Amino acid sequence: MIELEVKNLNKRFGGLHVLKDVSFEIKGAELVGLIGPNGAGKTTLTNILDGAIKPNSGTVYLNGERIDQLAPFEVAKVGLGRTFQVTRSFRRMTVLENLFVPAMAKDVAVHKSEVMEKALDVLEFLTMRHLRNEYAQALSGGQQKLLELGRLLMLDPDVIILDEPFAGVHPKLMEIIFGYIRRVNEEGKAIILISHQMDSIFTLCKRLLVLNYGDLIADGTPDEVKHDPVVIDAYLGTDEEDEEIEENKNETTSQ
Amino acid sequence: MNRNQTLSLISLITIVFFLAFPLVYAQRDYDYIMHIFITGFFYAILTSSWSMLAGYAGQFSFGHMGFMGLGAYGTALFSHYFYLSPVPTNLCTEFAIGDTYLIIKNPIGVTSSTLVQDCLTKTMAVWDGTVEVTQMPIWIGIMIGTLIGGFFGFLIGLLVMRLRAAYLALFTLGFSEILRATISAEIEITRGQAGIELPHLFENGITIFGHAYTKTDKIPPYYVMFFLLLICLSILAWLAKSRFGLFVRALREDEDAAAALGVNTIRYKIMVFVITSTMAALAGAVQAHYIGIITPNNLMLLQMSLVVAMAVIGGLENFAAAAIGAIMIEFLLELLRESFVIGGIEVDMTIWRLVFFGVLLMLTLRFYRNGLITPIINYFTRAHVASETVEIRKTSDTDDQQAVTNQK
Repeated sequence: MIELEVKNLNKRFGGLHVLKDVSFEIKGAELVGLIGPNGAGKTTLTNILDGAIKPNSGTVYLNGERIDQLAPFEVAKVGLGRTFQVTRSFRRMTVLENLFVPAMAKDVAVHKSEVMEKALDVLEFLTMRHLRNEYAQALSGGQQKLLELGRLLMLDPDVIILDEPFAGVHPKLMEIIFGYIRRVNEEGKAIILISHQMDSIFTLCKRLLVLNYGDLIADGTPDEVKHDPVVIDAYLGTDEEDEEIEENKNETTSQ
Repeated sequence: MNRNQTLSLISLITIVFFLAFPLVYAQRDYDYIMHIFITGFFYAILTSSWSMLAGYAGQFSFGHMGFMGLGAYGTALFSHYFYLSPVPTNLCTEFAIGDTYLIIKNPIGVTSSTLVQDCLTKTMAVWDGTVEVTQMPIWIGIMIGTLIGGFFGFLIGLLVMRLRAAYLALFTLGFSEILRATISAEIEITRGQAGIELPHLFENGITIFGHAYTKTDKIPPYYVMFFLLLICLSILAWLAKSRFGLFVRALREDEDAAAALGVNTIRYKIMVFVITSTMAALAGAVQAHYIGIITPNNLMLLQMSLVVAMAVIGGLENFAAAAIGAIMIEFLLELLRESFVIGGIEVDMTIWRLVFFGVLLMLTLRFYRNGLITPIINYFTRAHVASETVEIRKTSDTDDQQAVTNQK
């Protein structure tokens, strides 16, 4: 069974304490939402999990193997994959080549024909088969997001971190991404979903982690989190506050 | 015949042309034209290997001429200082290898022909022709120079593994300049600006298919350099098609994303430095024996700029385009030496040719960022992609709709 164990993670950038004793566990094919205001430490946490930065203290274990001191490529091989907040496709490589990279990096002995077969399956699922020989830079922003997701399917990790997968995506593509998340989760993979789109988070996730200025202030079901006064105060806000913001917006527009 | 086959045929015809040219060309300027070709092949090796480093892997290094110089000076110093003798000199540093002695001459700088004589020259004067001292085989020197280049490529790769973009460019520029300055300063060993003379590629001549060639004949070095170019291009083609090519291009596009997808970016960064610096050093070592002298000026930034310009004009992201660009530019630079008169005013092209060359470089950068040759190659390899995309789109639109519905 998949087991991700994050224990007492601390990260400081100079005087800024970005993560403060963050601990949580993910067991099995959970679909966990990670939310919090801008600057809460979500991306820092992601970067530590994937090995891009090292924590000042604390540990991360994936399936019993300590990964917090590994390089990103080693973490990927242990079984953790991620997407980036701003899409980072290999722009001057074809769609197929983008998909070949993770598959061939993970398995040095894999035959090209096997990778091709899998890549075409992935493209079929992402409705991008016709674009296979196009350069990634020719794709739309949404299609590039799909391509990033496709690369993760090729990497086939146990734990997937999706950083803002819905940002700036056309509704039709959003449906495909929803389908992707559900399918991957059903296939037995754990997913950490980072998004500011609360509707999507509440629809998809059965568990939410809330970060606020480095503190993990809540860990529970969407219902619990929705009604947690600390989370409401720090991030979600109340309906009244929402209405007030809306009114202010309207006033500014009419002026 | 499809476009890919046409491209293969053109490549084959080009190779046959280069193979046949020295045998069929018979003009008065034969040696001059052959020299331009040999130099063009030399630059083609440099630009194509640099294209792999900068164009494919995105490592914009200015140290390539430094690696070339390491190869050239490696073999130059070896052939200048190491000799074989059947009897000991008892004056030089020497080691017995069976019945033969490996003699290492003492460095005396640029005064060797006037005031001070090196230990071997002094001893040979005493021997008065009774003992025959032989130079080391030049292929050993070429191998040593090549290995030195590769080793320094490994070191530089290690040192720059965390550097990117402008920092990498400045670091490698610094390496190249330090190397040049060191060679210039170490007059005692390297003879500084005076340069070191090397034996020719075929110092005692060579007989090919019954035809004897002297050491100054152009045909043997032509074929040596051409086959060297073919070997380098074949290796680069194989690398570009392999896992290595895929990963270094991912490295160029986004190092962090490549690492997050399991690519050991540091390993591939070092590997690409080692491979390309080895090629540059090999080209440098062979060219130095062809020219017969190597000086620190060969490592100047201007020379590196020429390699960059050749690669950019040909096509930086395609090693074959870069190689073709190098040969074309080498010829163009020679053609531009011809001065001409316009309205009674003589345009001295010995001065103006570099200006014309600069304008060509600027126009290429402005209007053909992929170089002048790459679009032609792309016409044969990628022109079908757009229509193919549309065609598949038409047939798969219905399937896609079905897939979305299924996901819902």
